[in-house]
Amino acid sequence: MSLQLKLGERYKEILFSISEVALATLIGIGISAILIKAGGYSPTSAFFYLFKGAFGNLYGLYTSLSYSTPLMLTGLAFALSVRAGLFNIGAEGQVYIAALGAIIAASLALPSYLYLLAEFAIGIGLAVMWSLFAGILKVWKGVNEVVSTIMLNWIAYWVTEYSRSNIFYDPLSPDRTIRIPITGRLPILVENTQLYSGIFISLIVVIVTYVILWKTALGYEIRAVGLSPSASKYAGIKYSLVALEAFALSGLFAGIAGVMETIGRPPTYAIVTSLTNLVNLGFNGITVSLIGRNNPIGIIPASIFIGGLMAGATSMQIFAGVPLEMVQAVQGIIVMVLALPGIIRLIKSKIRRR
Amino acid sequence: MPPEKEVAIEMVNISKVYPDGVLALDKVSLTIYKGEIHGILGENGAGKTTLMRILYGNIKPTGGKIKVFGKEVSFGSSKDAIKIGIGMVHQHPSLVPVFTALENIYLGLPSNFKEQVSLKELIERTGIKVPLEERIEDVSLGIAQKVEILKVLYRGAEILILDEPTTNMTVEEVKEFFSTLRNLKKMGKTIIFISHKLKEVLDITDNITVLRRGKVSGSLPTSQATPEELAKLMVGREVFLKLEKQGSRPGEKILRVEDLWVKRNDGSWAVKGVSFEVRYGEIFGIAGVEGNGQSELIEAITGLRRAERGKVFFKGENVTNAHPLKLYTMGLAHIPEDRQKTGLILDMSVAENSILGIHRKRDFLRPMMIFNENKIKEHVERLIQQYEIVVSKINAPARSLSGGNQQKVVVGREFSKTPDLIIASQPTRGLDVGATEYIRSLLLKMRNNGKAVLLMSSDIDEVMGLSDRVAVIYEGEFMGISETSSVSEKEIGMMMGGYKMGEIGIK
Repeated sequence: MSLQLKLGERYKEILFSISEVALATLIGIGISAILIKAGGYSPTSAFFYLFKGAFGNLYGLYTSLSYSTPLMLTGLAFALSVRAGLFNIGAEGQVYIAALGAIIAASLALPSYLYLLAEFAIGIGLAVMWSLFAGILKVWKGVNEVVSTIMLNWIAYWVTEYSRSNIFYDPLSPDRTIRIPITGRLPILVENTQLYSGIFISLIVVIVTYVILWKTALGYEIRAVGLSPSASKYAGIKYSLVALEAFALSGLFAGIAGVMETIGRPPTYAIVTSLTNLVNLGFNGITVSLIGRNNPIGIIPASIFIGGLMAGATSMQIFAGVPLEMVQAVQGIIVMVLALPGIIRLIKSKIRRR
Repeated sequence: MPPEKEVAIEMVNISKVYPDGVLALDKVSLTIYKGEIHGILGENGAGKTTLMRILYGNIKPTGGKIKVFGKEVSFGSSKDAIKIGIGMVHQHPSLVPVFTALENIYLGLPSNFKEQVSLKELIERTGIKVPLEERIEDVSLGIAQKVEILKVLYRGAEILILDEPTTNMTVEEVKEFFSTLRNLKKMGKTIIFISHKLKEVLDITDNITVLRRGKVSGSLPTSQATPEELAKLMVGREVFLKLEKQGSRPGEKILRVEDLWVKRNDGSWAVKGVSFEVRYGEIFGIAGVEGNGQSELIEAITGLRRAERGKVFFKGENVTNAHPLKLYTMGLAHIPEDRQKTGLILDMSVAENSILGIHRKRDFLRPMMIFNENKIKEHVERLIQQYEIVVSKINAPARSLSGGNQQKVVVGREFSKTPDLIIASQPTRGLDVGATEYIRSLLLKMRNNGKAVLLMSSDIDEVMGLSDRVAVIYEGEFMGISETSSVSEKEIGMMMGGYKMGEIGIK
């Protein structure tokens, strides 16, 4: 009954996606193996622990899922922008600024039951505002969103870092901000793991976005603008309005991710030095989106895959003795190889549209 | 009696089944004699291009034999075809725009290439004169087409395949082009002329083969062919080439354009002070060679381009630079010139395209702007049925439809808006006879029902045949506006070439 591609074709596309990811992973593993070998470590044991840490046992699986929680949202933020024809890479900065918003809420003297609400409200509000800066510049002055979001990312980084060290630092432990009060935290799902209830919020947001994109007039307009600016103009769709909607929605998604990482992930519940608990959440979302073919449903498995890679990397470091830097290099190689097909598709579609 | 003519090409029982199961050619047999111009006539999708691409080695036939000059051949690629003396000129010239004509002719020659005649001699003998030092991007499509032919001839082609060569040419260019072809024929070259334009095929060819749905539906010498006969062979039924037109009963003004000035994208003036009006119950035609500002004029009226000066009134209301949505709600429908870029979103499904521009109509929505998919399905299925759109399924991407069917989606959607004024730009361009006739009859029906039509077309026959009044645009200005009945095709042609109506003695 759906008006889009028939299910059979969907399956074909999904199968193709999976084989593409599998092939890319193999290539990534191959290149990484050479690197690990050259560093004097055993590639077999490294990749054994990578897999084991990611999906080899329940703890690994929970950790992977917990890492996927914010990635789903930042992936969605990028995917929605791409659907609207925007290359919006601002989720990174919006995550920082949303986390800062949560800390601001935590610093207020509020009735205990209001903290959760305040954290989300202020965090998301700031993130949407941050995203709209880029949106307004784009619509009003035609400023390229790639440039503006990169700059806004850095501004967000330093604003948040400055606030952490100078305003909201914890006097007892100045390397981080004050912590989120206990009533302001999201419940943990599985004791002694990092898996927190935020994953349900992520899943719901992803599914709602899917419905918006493919079942409503709003999503129709977003996709129309992305696929053909000239035809959407002809159809009476107001480009500026749709672009601003897309910026606002992607700010919303990144904002939820930033707030949840701060108020949901144990054990810190704060922003730490150099924002290390937030860095790259936005950028990894781009990879997730590209692997998931910029489709909300595809983003779910893609984020779990990348989450697994992150969880496994820790275990590779601990059990295979591979140094952190090399672990990061391996991670980078695999992510890059994985994102390549998506990037190529994106560039191709841009060229075809000309 | 001269001896039996030499056979250049013999194709026997050629079949082609595409991997997706489509039977494109069904046992097509065809004989082409040396030194003739052979027309291959057929509607879009009849298999003309597939057949020629098989002859040119682009694609492999599923079955059948090909003989060239008596020898059976089997081509691995078009390189083999070129070697044996077959050259193909595609509908859109495949030349490098930033290279000069000369560079393009030499481009890609094999290192061991030995010329049979020098290029200079070739130009002299064929009479194909092109500015060799000009870049392709600076010359007209007609000239680019000639460069391509020279390129093919220089490589020693004895048999020339021309795929819809006149699509982008003006009337004058076509005339000149045909004299070139006659020249080539005199030199003994064999020419295959693929087209769906009856007049041209009747004008230039010696023999005609008509294809319909992958089969040969007729093969006859041109001297024995009549347009009515050919049209019948093409579409399989009698076609009314002249539409029945009742006298018009024009009413009130519905659209009034006053001294409109519009710029091109590059900032130059495309439309320089155009004024006219369209009344209920009439078809107002705008004729002109493409690129003379008519596209920009239509865009400015329909809210897609800024009008720098002047005014547009629709139903008495000033709608200069109004948003397209406002115009649509006031009763305007617009069949845009470029269906692929403007009229449709090719990567969206047929169903989604069927509601483009009316996607916010209450009929299609449930609360919260959620689509009512049942209603949309009903709507698209109604269009498919009414306009005989050939589509595998309503959720197939519009990209997968043939050009004619894409246009039918646009036309059907626009007519479904039940507009009071429809603005149709090149509504039948690239369509086959059947679809063209149908769309023209729809426009006439609109007018007969007392609605208004603004028709922009570079096809003189179309404008003359449909319009009650006609204006000719040249370099952004109207050369004249006249009742269609009081002006001849020749006079319209002169105005298209830049003569003002007063200069050629029409009042």
